[in-house]
Amino acid sequence: MIVVVGLSHRSAPVEVRERLAAGPDVLPAVLARLAGRDELAEVMFLSTCNRVEVVALAYGDAGVDRAVIAIREELARQGGAASGAELAPYLYEERGDEAVRHVFRVAASLDSMVLGEPQILGQVKDAYDAAVAAGTLRGTLGRCVSRAFALAKRVRTETAIGAGSVSISSVAVELARRIFTDLDERVVLLLGAGEMAEAAARSLGKGARTLRICNRSFDRAAALARDLHAAAVPWEGLEAELAQADVVVASTASVKPVVTREMVRRVMKARRGRSLLFVDIAVPRNVEREVHAIDNVYVFDVDDLEQEVARGMKARHAQVDAAEAIVADEVAQFLLWTRGLEVQPTVVAMRTKARAVLFSELERTLAGRLRHLGEGDRAALTQMLESGVNKLLHAPTTKLKARAAEGDDAGDLAAAVRFLFDLEEAAAAQQAARGEGEKGRDDDDRLPH
Amino acid sequence: MTLQLANVLFAATAVAYAAASVLFVAELGGRLLAVAPWAPRLVAVGVPLHAAHIVVWSMVLHVCPVEGIHFALSVASMLVCFVYAIARLRFRVDAVGAFVAPQALAFLLASRFVGPVDDEPRLRSTILPFHVASSLLGIALFTLAFAAAVAYLLQEHRLKHKNLEGILRLPAIDALDRAEHRFLVAGFPLLTIGILTGTIWAREIEAGSLAGIARAVLSYASWALIGGVLLLRASAGWRGKRAAVGTILGFGLAMLVLAFYLVRSLVGGVHA
Repeated sequence: MIVVVGLSHRSAPVEVRERLAAGPDVLPAVLARLAGRDELAEVMFLSTCNRVEVVALAYGDAGVDRAVIAIREELARQGGAASGAELAPYLYEERGDEAVRHVFRVAASLDSMVLGEPQILGQVKDAYDAAVAAGTLRGTLGRCVSRAFALAKRVRTETAIGAGSVSISSVAVELARRIFTDLDERVVLLLGAGEMAEAAARSLGKGARTLRICNRSFDRAAALARDLHAAAVPWEGLEAELAQADVVVASTASVKPVVTREMVRRVMKARRGRSLLFVDIAVPRNVEREVHAIDNVYVFDVDDLEQEVARGMKARHAQVDAAEAIVADEVAQFLLWTRGLEVQPTVVAMRTKARAVLFSELERTLAGRLRHLGEGDRAALTQMLESGVNKLLHAPTTKLKARAAEGDDAGDLAAAVRFLFDLEEAAAAQQAARGEGEKGRDDDDRLPH
Repeated sequence: MTLQLANVLFAATAVAYAAASVLFVAELGGRLLAVAPWAPRLVAVGVPLHAAHIVVWSMVLHVCPVEGIHFALSVASMLVCFVYAIARLRFRVDAVGAFVAPQALAFLLASRFVGPVDDEPRLRSTILPFHVASSLLGIALFTLAFAAAVAYLLQEHRLKHKNLEGILRLPAIDALDRAEHRFLVAGFPLLTIGILTGTIWAREIEAGSLAGIARAVLSYASWALIGGVLLLRASAGWRGKRAAVGTILGFGLAMLVLAFYLVRSLVGGVHA
């Protein structure tokens, strides 16, 4: 049975989350420690800014409690907590069907702080790759996570969960792209060199050809310019800079507008009408309201950007029901597949035994009364027996699998088959399928599509 | 056999343009369609079919494709789609197809179902093919410039009114502005040739009717307007909204000239 134990932005503050986080450098060691626990058959460690989770496969239903305790202990160790009890208020756990659903929802970004954000899928893939490389992900859990990738893609394709912009910086970038096709060929000018300017520069400026920083304090502009590989320019040259820039991000602490209508009128003459975008994230605003009325000049302030963020979030939330329906569908399909796995050892044992008995009899007969038969006749008899085994066992095989797929408890039926056919070895394998044997099972069955 | 082939080509072209039109309209309307990227490709698929239809249909009718205004419009719309299929990759203005595909469909249908083929021997002249060919290609380019200008004004209106909903469906305004300018630059010399040859042709057939004079005046006005737009852009930095409005007006005048031909064709006679 699959279990998930972890914490996220919903259950724990960042101080707790950051204590448990494991970067790529320490992840192999963390995985090795988890894999060393006898209670866990398979394991994956997911660590992002907003989430730290251990996704594991327990040894059968009976081993779930022990697996959960083991994970809690390891998480406590990871976080440097004195005991599991210290972390307990922040941890959540999911088991069985709910754990599968949780993994699917996380990959589809339905449990993210920013609904529909695309980064989480890459982070889950990184966690998956690390676990595969460490050899801690092989069978059922590996299939579950790889199914989650397909599900996430399906959700993004069939719904608009990832559409629209849901952060101030992404809205600003989208706006710039609506005006300029080739943002990477444009000049971005930052007015101000504070934290807001820096944050805006990291999203808008990174794709720009040139990033220039203009601030009343030139030293501060120069310091930020060094960090951002940009150019600092003197405040006195503001108007000349506006004539060169394509996107201007204004975030100075000035209480009066630093960009006036008259200034922009002069600038637009020098620009020969080339479009100019102002993203004014300062409060009070840095750009006079009337500037927006000038031809080929566009001014968007914080309120405009936040309105767009709200609209984007609303549009995404409207897609949640459709996305959840896809998750439910994929969970059901995955469970069908796992239930089919439970009866697989019995089916294999039944067929193996039937073949063994019949071919043993055939061998004895061919060595005795029918020893005069030629190669062709012997091959025909062998083929006949093979065909007979297949036809005879077709019905019990399909009925066992169907019962398992329907979600009914196929265990009684499988036990009856084992009792009737005296399949003691199969009983042991059945046990293994539910528990110990899950570690490293090489399952070739394909998920239903 | 030739007629059957013409019919098949006609139907295939119409289906390609119609499907592209539906997809474009759905896309611009904000519908999330996985097949939407096929819209511009369908226009591109329609171009060779349309060209083949023009060739085969002209064989069926035993007329030159550029003689007869409906047929000529069909040729022009094919040229529009041809230029669009090439230019959209460079200018990234796929959305312009939302105008191009329906007008191509309309002109294609008109070429088969509206009015007779105008084949009045008295109107024939050695200069006529030059006049029609340059005018048609010029109109094709102005049609694309017009579509880019309309899309520009829509996008600009949304940005100025901060109505960003659905704004992602149209290309960036600088791409639309650039495309509109390039189409005008390419189309203007052809329009100039068309007007010069048209003037000579009119003198040859001694057309001096009131309609003919009005048509000539409108032609000169559209030439002056589009020339003015290009000149002001180069000299005074007229871009964006002003250039778009000028382009739309210039195209409108050019369309009025075409309307005169259409009316003449429907009523009959060069003096109509």
